[in-house]
Amino acid sequence: MKPSLKVVLNGLWKDHPIFSMVLGICSSLAVSNKVENAIAMGAGVTFALIGTALLIAALRKLIPGRVRMIAYMIIIATFVIVVDRVLKAMFPDISRAIGPYVGLIITNCILMGRAEAFYVSNGVGLSLIDAVFNGLGYTYTLVLVAVIRELLGFGSILGMPVMPVTFNKWVIMAMAPGAFFVVALFIWVTRTLAKMDPDKPGGG
Amino acid sequence: MKDKIMMLVFVLVLGTVLTGILVAVNWYTTPVISRNEQHEIQVNILKALGIPFGEGEVERVFAGQVQAKESGGKTYYVADGGGVAFAYSGSGLWGPINGIVALNPDLSSLKAVTVIHQEETPGLGDRIKEQAYLDQFQGKEFSSGLKLMPPGKSSRANEIDAITGATLTPKAFLQILNKNLTAAVPAIRQGERQ
Repeated sequence: MKPSLKVVLNGLWKDHPIFSMVLGICSSLAVSNKVENAIAMGAGVTFALIGTALLIAALRKLIPGRVRMIAYMIIIATFVIVVDRVLKAMFPDISRAIGPYVGLIITNCILMGRAEAFYVSNGVGLSLIDAVFNGLGYTYTLVLVAVIRELLGFGSILGMPVMPVTFNKWVIMAMAPGAFFVVALFIWVTRTLAKMDPDKPGGG
Repeated sequence: MKDKIMMLVFVLVLGTVLTGILVAVNWYTTPVISRNEQHEIQVNILKALGIPFGEGEVERVFAGQVQAKESGGKTYYVADGGGVAFAYSGSGLWGPINGIVALNPDLSSLKAVTVIHQEETPGLGDRIKEQAYLDQFQGKEFSSGLKLMPPGKSSRANEIDAITGATLTPKAFLQILNKNLTAAVPAIRQGERQ
């Protein structure tokens, strides 16, 4: 298999950040109550991931081993702050909705994890592909979870009411416990489909 | 030794370059962000005062029909057609809540309340931002303090319904309003008398 294709499949399925590596769970629990927020968060993470990937891959020969974590941290922080400011300036409504969680992308393990596992030892091209598809993998999961939660918790999709008026909203789905239920179910289903064995090291 | 110096130089250079990027982004976005915030406040003031406006003419309508005044350190906004509005803020159950309160020209009853920012529980407490909830504030008399009643039980001129399943948020919300009204209204009365 071509290396680039392998990277694509890893990001979307095999090493999927949420259900395989179980990274970035905090934000996926927090902002997946509405589809709109999920898309914005996914886009933010993808952008920050791409920026981080490009810069770290380009600098990988220059980054001294002993300070590489600090280097990742400040590179990630820079891109995340850029995302936050741009959201505030261009999309104030979305920024208000997911506000504090944008800052938390900095501590989103997907970025740190991919930086250490991949970007620091691979070229710019491959790293870019990895970033795009890990970002997409994260985004599609968030959107799937958000579709379920928004449908049951608010009776709408993207703010448009789709459930009948008589539908009794499952308020718990809009709150944190709903996120745990749906994300856990999602991880269970996808791991079963992917035949991953949690007992094997590295999630199988 | 050379390694250590290289390391230091690397961190310094990277830090400087990235800080430079942030300064540039900040410089570019700050005016846009403060304009957005300004716009948001103006939209809410117009809404609270019941002044109709179309998309894209907020600034013009605001400049034409609303006057900003100050009294006792409190900024408030007077509509040409009667009514006074001011910004309120305080802590809700989970995070800060702020918005605009508008008073009728008699300065003793509410014209409207809007919520600009809140961080209450989605689907429960955050229903304080819904128009249906905020509508019940219309015409309420606040001189003896707004009082929270169980859902559907409010009858007197200063009573407000709670929200089923989320009593603490409306409670905090009324406290914020009462506190802001007691602080601001005397100053506004003073200012309007002159």
